[in-house]
Amino acid sequence: MTLILDMLTSAAILFIVATGLLTIFGVLKIINFAHGAWLTVGAYCAVATAHMGLNPWLALPLAFAAGAVLGLLTERFIVRPLYSRPLDAILATWGLGIVIGQLITLWFGRDVQFTANLIPGTVDLLGTTYSAYRLFALVAAIALGLGFSYLMEGTRLGLSARAVIMNETLARALGLDTAKIRTVTFMIGTGLAGLAGVLLTPLTSTDPTMGVAWLVGSFMLVMVAGQSFGALALACLLLGGAQVIVSTYVSPILGGITVAVLAAIILRISPKGFSRA
Amino acid sequence: MPDLTLTNTVPQSRRVKLLAILAVAAVALVIVGPLFLDRFALNVLTRSMIFAILAITVDLLWGYTGILTFGQAAFFGAGAYVTAMLLTHVGSNPALLALGLVLSIVVPMLIGGAVGWLTFYPGSSDFYATIISLVVPIVITQLIYSGGTWTGSSSGLVGYWGINLGLDGYFRLAGLSLVAIAVAALVFVRSDAGRILTAIRNNEMRCAYLGINTNRIKILLTAILGGVAGFAGYLYANASGVVAPENAGFIFGTELVVWTALGGRGTIVGPVVGAIGIGYLSAQLSGDLPFLWQLLIGTLFVVMIIFLPNGLAALATGFRERARAGTAPRLVAEAPARPHRESDAPLLDIRNLEKSYGSQKVLEDITLSVQPGELVSLVGPNGAGKTTLMRCMTDGAAASGGIVRINGESIAGMVPNQIVARGIGRKFQVASVFESLTVAECLRMARTTLDAPSIVKTSDVLGLPQTAIDILRLSGLDQMLGTSVSLLSHGQKQSLELVMVVSLEPELILLDEPTAGLTKTERTTIGEVLKTLTAECGIAAILVEHDLDFVRDISSRIVVLHQGRLVLDGTVEDVVNDDIVKKIYSGGGHE
Repeated sequence: MTLILDMLTSAAILFIVATGLLTIFGVLKIINFAHGAWLTVGAYCAVATAHMGLNPWLALPLAFAAGAVLGLLTERFIVRPLYSRPLDAILATWGLGIVIGQLITLWFGRDVQFTANLIPGTVDLLGTTYSAYRLFALVAAIALGLGFSYLMEGTRLGLSARAVIMNETLARALGLDTAKIRTVTFMIGTGLAGLAGVLLTPLTSTDPTMGVAWLVGSFMLVMVAGQSFGALALACLLLGGAQVIVSTYVSPILGGITVAVLAAIILRISPKGFSRA
Repeated sequence: MPDLTLTNTVPQSRRVKLLAILAVAAVALVIVGPLFLDRFALNVLTRSMIFAILAITVDLLWGYTGILTFGQAAFFGAGAYVTAMLLTHVGSNPALLALGLVLSIVVPMLIGGAVGWLTFYPGSSDFYATIISLVVPIVITQLIYSGGTWTGSSSGLVGYWGINLGLDGYFRLAGLSLVAIAVAALVFVRSDAGRILTAIRNNEMRCAYLGINTNRIKILLTAILGGVAGFAGYLYANASGVVAPENAGFIFGTELVVWTALGGRGTIVGPVVGAIGIGYLSAQLSGDLPFLWQLLIGTLFVVMIIFLPNGLAALATGFRERARAGTAPRLVAEAPARPHRESDAPLLDIRNLEKSYGSQKVLEDITLSVQPGELVSLVGPNGAGKTTLMRCMTDGAAASGGIVRINGESIAGMVPNQIVARGIGRKFQVASVFESLTVAECLRMARTTLDAPSIVKTSDVLGLPQTAIDILRLSGLDQMLGTSVSLLSHGQKQSLELVMVVSLEPELILLDEPTAGLTKTERTTIGEVLKTLTAECGIAAILVEHDLDFVRDISSRIVVLHQGRLVLDGTVEDVVNDDIVKKIYSGGGHE
């Protein structure tokens, strides 16, 4: 039972972390290698909220706003010139990640920070005692996934974004302001990364390089998922589940590379990943 | 042919001399360096020079071939760990040190070969190579962590006995190794074979359609550069006396890319300067302002990627490009390198070919056969499936049904370069050439499979079939052999691509709208060339064309495609007077 819950919640956490990256890759076809930095920024929003003595839940909107504003600046000044050079965009955003990491270090120091758990304690679920927060993460992931499907399927922005995904030239010819759609998408992506950073704080230690550890995993998942949130959920469940199984029964260290190796193999067999499914 | 002698071999020999002088100067600096430098500087520079070797390997992959890689750190780490593990667990004596040297090169080469094989397969994407280059360091690092006492896990290995050279000796060893590898890299990238890397970066599909097996080249390159990185790891393990998991990590891999980018990708000297300069300055400054320094490097990196993607060396490169233009080889007519066809089977034989995308049938039941010397025009309105049919003849994975045979051999499952090797040349609708190369270099690419290029020098002769030289003369390109392709006009690029395809000595040429966008004169020239090729040289040609007057003038046979079906196959007379064709072209097919 614990194993199943571990698998589900690990997948949920991966999903939360990867959505921001997928949003940007799906619409803009750009790999945002500063994703790790946005996660870190979000986590430090939680730290700052705690320092100021505010309600820890306030960190969520704060982090989303901080991520979105920084995303606005990033899209305008760094990413926009690089749409035609996707490999260079990876590098430029990675460089930005270095810069943000150093700025955080200058501001907060390089030490590990601790924040209060948003939901401490455990709950009994079908006779198993389990971390309440991990269960909350599962709920949050589902809410995020549903919210996003609504955004994409049910709103005008989502419709425009889907138009840009399918055929950007046509979308522009039809009078859609594709530049604005790109900017807004990028802001949502970075905002979500900030949000994910806050949600991560109870689960990992917070330090200026924490984001990098999550970057590669979410990058792999997004590559496998392609453009679809459904595929991302599937990828998180399969690869995250495999990671938990390998960590439990083989070795935690090898568990750490399960996602990356499986993603590489999946992409080798089916270069489009799960997006065709 | 003295009239074609535009050659000036002087710049090349001058370049060799310049390179020799630079190399000697660098060697001298490396040898006397320890007399002037303090311990700290010696330590830092030794390490930086080893890292500079890695930066060269990153540059060859990324700057020259266009494969963005974070994975060189993994090969470096593998080489360093192989050395350290051998010296720690087996012992240290001259024989074992020599064995360590061999293993530190061979093991990363094997890993590199395996990684390359996994990464580069027909249809693989650039992104995939980058993804794999992230996975490899992570896997190697995790293996090191899980290696227990074997690898020292997270604390690494320390306290083994390396080569007994002392600080000065290691400085000189690292420096000499760097100079040797830098010179070898410089010689290689300037050689005829080295230009293939640039050609792959420019236009990999064209390379494949010139019969070059680009995947094999990339796998080989990954393996060899893995070996070089492993050698750097050997030096590092000896010189530093300690290896740690970070040495193999992807963060280190990204640092290598940063140094290469700042120094200038696509030059060999740039990354060397970048690695040594940043390494040295980091060591000097990071004590006083550690985070600010990283911040500065990060900012500089972002700014450079956006505004000056070719790095600090870009200005120098611009200078070199100008110098490069003007060195043109001498044209020499070559006897045919390809054996004459012996098969009795039709040159091209298509039976019941089908192509569909999902339920949408683009081609249906196409049966067509072509004999040597024929000039077959493929006509039909837009969307009739002409280009798709061309693709099915040159890519064994394209068709969804039916069979395509070349000289009796089915091409099913073959990749383009294998099909080209069987005597098919394809000219694309939009001229597909190599923008960063000169005219002569493009032509040499076309000869790569018939006439293996040198890996050390630039040849001052260019051997081409007589027909190719004739077309060059007709188009005036023979006077522009040293000109960069990016400076050519649209029509000149079309002609160049045609000469490239003819230089392959194909038995069958496929031409997709070779006259689109050309002037009347250029059109007539190409028409004449095609007639000569087919009627006199016995080459067969299939031509997709919209200009019916042009088609009528030159074709020996016309095939009409309409809505994915072959509706007519006959002589010029038959087709021009046919009612169906009149209907299709006047749009009256629906009455």
